[in-house]
Amino acid sequence: MTEALLRIENVSVRFGGLVALDSVTLEVAPGSIQAVIGPNGAGKSTLLNVITGLYTASGGSILFRGERIDGRTPHAITRRGIARTFQNTELFGEMTALENVMISLDRFYAYGGVTAAWQGRHYRQIETSARDEARELLALVGLAGDENEAAATLPFGKQRRLEIARALATRPGLLLLDEPAAGLRAAEIDALNRILLDLRAQRQISILVIDHVMPLVMAISDRIAVLNFGRKIAEGTPDAVRRSPDVIAAYLGEKAAHAVGS
Amino acid sequence: MLAQVLVSSVTAGAVYALIALGFVLIHKGTGVVHFGYGDQVTFGAYLVLIAQMAVTGLPFWPAVFIALVVSALLGALIYGGFMWPLRNASLLAKIIASLALGTVLREFVRAFMGPNAWPFPFLLSQTAVPVGGVLVVPANLAIVGVSLGILAILFLLFEKTLFGKAIMAACDNRIGASLIGVRVSHVFLLIWVVASVLATVAGVLVAPLLTLSPDMGLIGIKGFTAAVLGGFNSLPGAVLGGILLGILEALVGTYISSALKDMISYGILIAVILIRPQGLLGGLLVKKV
Amino acid sequence: MPLRPLLFAAAILAFFAAPQLLPEFYLFQICLIAGTALAVLGLVVVTGLAGQISLAQSAFVALGGYGASILAASWGVPLWAGIPVVAVVVAGLGFLLGQMTLRVAGHYLALATLAVTAIVQLALIHWEALTGGAAGMAVPPFEIMGRALTSGRELYYVIVPVTALFILTAQNLIASRFGRALTAIRQSETAAEAMGLDVLRYKAAAFAASAFLGAVAGGLLAPLSTYLDPAQYGITYAIYFLAIAVVGGMTSPTGAVIGSAVFVLLPNYLQAFQSYLGLVFALLLLGFIVLRPNGLSSLPWLRQAGALLHRTTGPKP
Repeated sequence: MTEALLRIENVSVRFGGLVALDSVTLEVAPGSIQAVIGPNGAGKSTLLNVITGLYTASGGSILFRGERIDGRTPHAITRRGIARTFQNTELFGEMTALENVMISLDRFYAYGGVTAAWQGRHYRQIETSARDEARELLALVGLAGDENEAAATLPFGKQRRLEIARALATRPGLLLLDEPAAGLRAAEIDALNRILLDLRAQRQISILVIDHVMPLVMAISDRIAVLNFGRKIAEGTPDAVRRSPDVIAAYLGEKAAHAVGS
Repeated sequence: MLAQVLVSSVTAGAVYALIALGFVLIHKGTGVVHFGYGDQVTFGAYLVLIAQMAVTGLPFWPAVFIALVVSALLGALIYGGFMWPLRNASLLAKIIASLALGTVLREFVRAFMGPNAWPFPFLLSQTAVPVGGVLVVPANLAIVGVSLGILAILFLLFEKTLFGKAIMAACDNRIGASLIGVRVSHVFLLIWVVASVLATVAGVLVAPLLTLSPDMGLIGIKGFTAAVLGGFNSLPGAVLGGILLGILEALVGTYISSALKDMISYGILIAVILIRPQGLLGGLLVKKV
Repeated sequence: MPLRPLLFAAAILAFFAAPQLLPEFYLFQICLIAGTALAVLGLVVVTGLAGQISLAQSAFVALGGYGASILAASWGVPLWAGIPVVAVVVAGLGFLLGQMTLRVAGHYLALATLAVTAIVQLALIHWEALTGGAAGMAVPPFEIMGRALTSGRELYYVIVPVTALFILTAQNLIASRFGRALTAIRQSETAAEAMGLDVLRYKAAAFAASAFLGAVAGGLLAPLSTYLDPAQYGITYAIYFLAIAVVGGMTSPTGAVIGSAVFVLLPNYLQAFQSYLGLVFALLLLGFIVLRPNGLSSLPWLRQAGALLHRTTGPKP
């Protein structure tokens, strides 16, 4: 068995007396699309926030490419190759779509204060290359015509895709998506699926997606883990998870589980 | 000696507590930290003088009553004229607006009442009475009593009544509150009116003790320190923070150096903000994404 | 594009013509505008761009003025050398203060920086041996190449070019990745951090820059006023800078100049209402933050002029 790209081991998160994640273990294999589903309040977003360093784990460890990343700052984790999107979109609203993407490219096109103050040829070259890469990424997610629109003025579906382009600009090995399909129409979800599958095929990016929209998760995931009340209650292929009585109980209540099981 | 220092310091502490209560009330009730509150306290005291100048021969108590009414209107004006239009503005804009409001009030009294100090009558006798070996001043006791009384009223209002819970609901979740029938704008308006009246009560009590000049409002920073020390969301914390700050200042002033007194309270402010931003009695804050 | 060298030539010409044409009073006021704009530029960086409210600008200006004056009075370091040295030290203090933003934002940051201003002012009053205490201290003259610059007419040749240099530099830095990063941080620290920006370092650097600019401004304004009074460097002064930044336009270096010009020149036209001046400034701040929070530099015709300039001097899109 190959080594996991991301390995979450017995991770717990507590806020005061509240246990948001209870000893969760989860792996993302290289080149795979792993999904985490669960009802509202199951701890899905907490899981994402603890992986990206926004929350501190109260216990357990998180390894990325074999190295501990728990306890590191969010930007350090991003620089190691984990990128994310936000559920309610956290775009830089007043900045253009292009500038939003260029923020993530910042460290790949770095120059010093003197270069910036002088704004000579060297400066223009670096800025132009950064712009070009940002344009490519926008085109990749279908935002080629929206480069100079302020992010806040884009329609919601486009904001979602801009979030993905911005995350890709950090040049990640693992992309974390926080409910990327919420609020999207069926056609938009299909388009999103194609983008994600292309990313894996062409850029060798692994994906961890959190969602409760079944069509997206079922269609593209290799494996699905199910969270409920902060614990992992099931994991397996989409088909296996769909048939698990525990999962049906979590989503539909105990009675439904019995009805299906009998 | 120590007993006397402590008893005297409680007065200063109660002054801080009174102002801190206003801060906490506005913050707990509307989510705004009002940087101009200290100036509103000063303005309240000036309102009494202005009423007496406007109506010749007006006795003190009716003047206080007029000041209270005018400050209630001022509270409504602050909410309707500034805080309501800015309800969706950035936090930065709200902070600057509240600083600006305080500056307007301060410069208003400087422009129309002059930069110099005004005498202000004590409500009770300022002759010290010996009680159990220490000297107690009735005028000072009044401040302590009023602070505790206001704390008791506000505490009961917030923690024990349905109305108080409605206020908290409105503050925590505007949409949710409006769904269950709470008119958020009415609640906020009421908070601003009550807090503004409270500022004038504080001003009338404090003005004779401090010097009533346009810059008396700088006492607001001490009120802030008290509120932060106690926990910005906790009414009992505001009083506890005020009394603690008063005692601490008195001890430093008596035993170390009076020059260091103020520096130490500002140092405490920074230290508490850095080390325990939720204060002594405040709850934990979790950032949501 | 011939417009850029043309504008540059016009600016140089105006710079050398002004002292020949204007009386001392106006030159003094130009110096005051430039020095104030430099302090406000610091606020534009830390508060306007990075979104970190600071009421410590008054403290930085005070430290710059007192620091350079004390170095000159006690150790004989000339102001032209002392000001940059002190500014670098104060920038270090600003960087440390910026570390606070790891834990503190919004209201609490406003309070903490307010406390810094209060502490610095109290220190100036109580550390009498060094600062002259509440009575204040005289500022040694600005001497350069054996010549003492004492009037506005002479200090003009120092203060105006220094301010112009910093304003132009700031404009270029704002157009670059640095301005972009600070703008992103202002809009969402969480997202900026998640995109790989070291947010704390940027915020601390913004505080350092504001401290540096404040200290240089303080150092240059000191010989202009010839006397330092600790009563000046309080919270009111911090709000004064904030008011100028808001009226001029929080995110614009040219806004800092426009705002400073308004606040320095306005008293000339309100001679008869001298005692209402504070009230007028306070009402200006309140009016702008409620009605036009982006300040004067966001006025359509000024924006167009700015865009015209930027198209000729800035990078090609």
